[in-house]
Amino acid sequence: MTDSLLRIEDLHVEIAGRGRTVHALDGIDLDLAPGEALGIVGESGCGKTMTALSVLGLLPGGGKVTGGRILFDGPRGTADGPTDLAAAPEPVLRDIRGNTIGMVFQDPLTSLNPTLTIGAQVAEPLLLHTRCTKAEAWEKAAETLRLVGMPRPAERMKNYPHQLSGGMRQRVAIAMALVCEPRLLIADEPTTALDVTTQHQILELIDELRERLGMAMILVTHDLGVIARRVDRVAVMYGGKIAERAAVRPLFATPRHRYTQALFAALPERATDGAQPLATIPGLPPSLVTRPAGCRFAPRCGFATDHCRTTEPELTADGATGAAGHTFACFHPADPAPGQDPTAEVRPAAPAAPPAGTGEPLLRLDGVAKTYPLHGGPFARRRGAGAEVSAVAGISLTVRRGETFGIVGESGCGKSTLGRMVVGLEAPTGGTIHFAGRDIATLTKRELRAHRRDVQLMFQDSYASMDPRMRVSAVLREPLVIQGIGDRAEQARRIAGLLDDVGLPRGAVDRYPHEFSGGQRQRLGLARALALSPSLVVADEPVSALDVSVQAQILNLMRDLQRDKGLTYLFISHDLAVVRHLADSVGVMYLGKLVETGPAERVFARPLHPYTRGLLDTVNAPDPDAEQAGTPLGGETPSAAAPPSGCRFRTRCPAARELCATTEPPVTEPETPGHRVACHFPLTSEPAGDGAAPTAGPIQ
Amino acid sequence: MIRFLAKRIAQAAIVLLLVSVIVFVLLHLLPGGPARAILGIQATPDSIAHFNHQQGYDRSLPEQYVQYLGRLLSGDLGESYKLNQTVASLLGERLPKTALLAGLSIVLAAVLAVPLGILQAVRRGKAADYVLTGIAFLAYATPVFFLGLVLILVFSQQLQFFPAEAPQADTLGGVLAEPRALVLPVVTTALGIIAAFSRYMRSAVLDNLGEEYVRTARAKGQSHARIMARHVLRNALIPLATLLGLYLPTLFSGTLVVESMFNYPGMGLLFWNAAQGSDFPVLLGVTLIVGVATVLGSLITDIAYAVLDPRIRSVT
Repeated sequence: MTDSLLRIEDLHVEIAGRGRTVHALDGIDLDLAPGEALGIVGESGCGKTMTALSVLGLLPGGGKVTGGRILFDGPRGTADGPTDLAAAPEPVLRDIRGNTIGMVFQDPLTSLNPTLTIGAQVAEPLLLHTRCTKAEAWEKAAETLRLVGMPRPAERMKNYPHQLSGGMRQRVAIAMALVCEPRLLIADEPTTALDVTTQHQILELIDELRERLGMAMILVTHDLGVIARRVDRVAVMYGGKIAERAAVRPLFATPRHRYTQALFAALPERATDGAQPLATIPGLPPSLVTRPAGCRFAPRCGFATDHCRTTEPELTADGATGAAGHTFACFHPADPAPGQDPTAEVRPAAPAAPPAGTGEPLLRLDGVAKTYPLHGGPFARRRGAGAEVSAVAGISLTVRRGETFGIVGESGCGKSTLGRMVVGLEAPTGGTIHFAGRDIATLTKRELRAHRRDVQLMFQDSYASMDPRMRVSAVLREPLVIQGIGDRAEQARRIAGLLDDVGLPRGAVDRYPHEFSGGQRQRLGLARALALSPSLVVADEPVSALDVSVQAQILNLMRDLQRDKGLTYLFISHDLAVVRHLADSVGVMYLGKLVETGPAERVFARPLHPYTRGLLDTVNAPDPDAEQAGTPLGGETPSAAAPPSGCRFRTRCPAARELCATTEPPVTEPETPGHRVACHFPLTSEPAGDGAAPTAGPIQ
Repeated sequence: MIRFLAKRIAQAAIVLLLVSVIVFVLLHLLPGGPARAILGIQATPDSIAHFNHQQGYDRSLPEQYVQYLGRLLSGDLGESYKLNQTVASLLGERLPKTALLAGLSIVLAAVLAVPLGILQAVRRGKAADYVLTGIAFLAYATPVFFLGLVLILVFSQQLQFFPAEAPQADTLGGVLAEPRALVLPVVTTALGIIAAFSRYMRSAVLDNLGEEYVRTARAKGQSHARIMARHVLRNALIPLATLLGLYLPTLFSGTLVVESMFNYPGMGLLFWNAAQGSDFPVLLGVTLIVGVATVLGSLITDIAYAVLDPRIRSVT
């Protein structure tokens, strides 16, 4: 294959740390044709980012290429053949970086220099790699910013990164990578830190630019939904090796490696029925400190035999699918015929959760609002009442005992503030919260203490929420001690029971939080939340930081515990698929308002609010053949310090009219009882009059 | 930016007013009151009452404070009991000298510590880092008087490079006319600061080198040297700005040892002599100046922050 742009041959990378060496990459083979898009997927620690970084020679400290070659077809197609980037000296690499290979990183917040202007940072590669003057570079930078969809680029050039939103910062990062018109763009989780709607806009942008500039791309991600419709071919990595490599359609249709298969099965989107548990992958990925013998996935694979544990499978093609270039490293591949093969490990079907909505109301919110003053300090009040952030603006909802109520929304919509108010960590500035029939604002100090026992919080980052110097036993005992429950022996018994409940070994009590993996920490977080046997658990993005397979474990665990202990969940998440899978009822928030609420299956199947519709249309389904339905949401969420008048969504709504700007939409139930929407023109099945037509016209 | 500065300056003015209140209270906390302090233990109640009436000390405290503040604003800080001179003229003589010593030391420290810190960060874990770290700890841990003695012994007594006594001239120009005599006091003062600053600089550079924007800069094709100069330096100077503001007041009072060792007629020496002789107006005057220096120090830090970090400029 002489026509490849980039060819990685048997690449080995080791990272030396404190007294131990991690074999991060162990024989990676990849190739990429000019203009082609390759997706690299895998869970954290599988080596996908290391592969991307080694191409540009940007391995972190202690990391080095110990074997193999990275052949890149010369800076401008030189006659003397491809350059081996793994062996190239620093000046050669410097000439390629940002020039013929551009790179975009995950977090647009930290990957830009906070003290340099946008213009200076975008123009920087030009000044390095071309002979242009400062003025020319500045002009070209502005042009590139326009290309990436930055409004008013000339003005933005003088701004600093903190003055832009996350999505705009990522556009800047893309502009920096593209300003020299590279032949290859490497994007490492470019949208992971962004909201759903922004994510979609950025991916569309990358697609469009790739087409226009004829660039090749390597898209590194953990999100199967992101690569499904964005790349030509996919490499699935596991434990520092490539497990499977194929064109995107055959891979999604007939994954052959047992790991790929299990990964797909663990997706909440693929769950056949909300009442069924998700398929999980037991155990943890290998640590790669020692090179495992045999197949790296064998310890977690339901199909592994002794052969798998002793002999390492090679990447081989298989005629069964007939797809060219579909290779996988598995001795017992999945049957390509659909539906013929059991997935990796589907646990015995648990009895379905009790039907929701029959229980008595446990939590009732009436017009709950929270505003924060924009300026702190002793002189804040003099600035007038106008300067405040309306984080939550009049939310009313009812959560019934035993159900899971999902709150979905993008960042800044007020969902976490809502959760904190329910738990009692913050007092609402308006409205009332009734818990078990009592207004929590009227509780005495003692009653509030008892109330806290009944409502517990589970965090996104359990590790950050635990004292790193406390052992697990102390972490779990603390709530019991505060509430004065039991003597030491009784407390120890309860802790042992809690660890059993969340599936951690009892020996864990003597360990510190840092000794656990992400999934185990989340189990610990759940155990701590359950220590006081609460009736309501407010879970704020509990699985957002986890890999798909671990996410499935936690979701199943939460569901099992709900059934066994009759728990009620207020489940806050930005992830529609997760909420759809777990929640009985759902509320969709936008800029402090609840725009739609109702039974989960109704809301997701027949959304009434244009925002819900837009969110659903925007989600990246992990299916290459999924049609782009409807119109994905454009624009950005306005600031909560100056929310739009009338309907807060109107600035992004395709159906907005005059009325929306003047009058706040009332909450109605246009279709089925219990399915409420706050919209003047809900998307009902029978368009009333000129209902759905987004033409501007006089109303009333 | 201008609003930010205006706000900070207004805050500084309020703090200064509070400083004057504290100094005023201190004046009245003197054992037996100022009359006892001035007239001595043998003074009769009559003479004390007479003195108090004469000085206005028998009026109500708020009234006295307004009077005190009025005098303060017109530059009247009282008179020295011992030196037969007004406090204002004493400070006017001594303050520039201490400011010169402190300013030169800080500039020297910054000029040396910034590159030293960068060097240590770049050579982290290598010989240069260990050697410089060792020297820094030694300089930091050695008391100033001992450091000064060693420097005098080596560079003045043995090698006879520099005089052991600081310039004795009354005017700033006169002091500056003897640059060689300034070397040892400045170096003695600066060594400890260099040690502290370079440690901070080292860790700030290391922190920033681990930041993702540095990786982004490398991905653009920037060289290590230019990344340091263009990207890291400015970000790493931000924590140093805090330290600078903290050191300023310490220097105004802390050059005491150096000034008495090199017999340099600055504020420290003035303070020392006033403390020995219970010269309260002078002591309080110096206290006021150090208070002002503290407020100025944090004002300078805020301004430096605003210049270095655009995020602070727009937040406030």
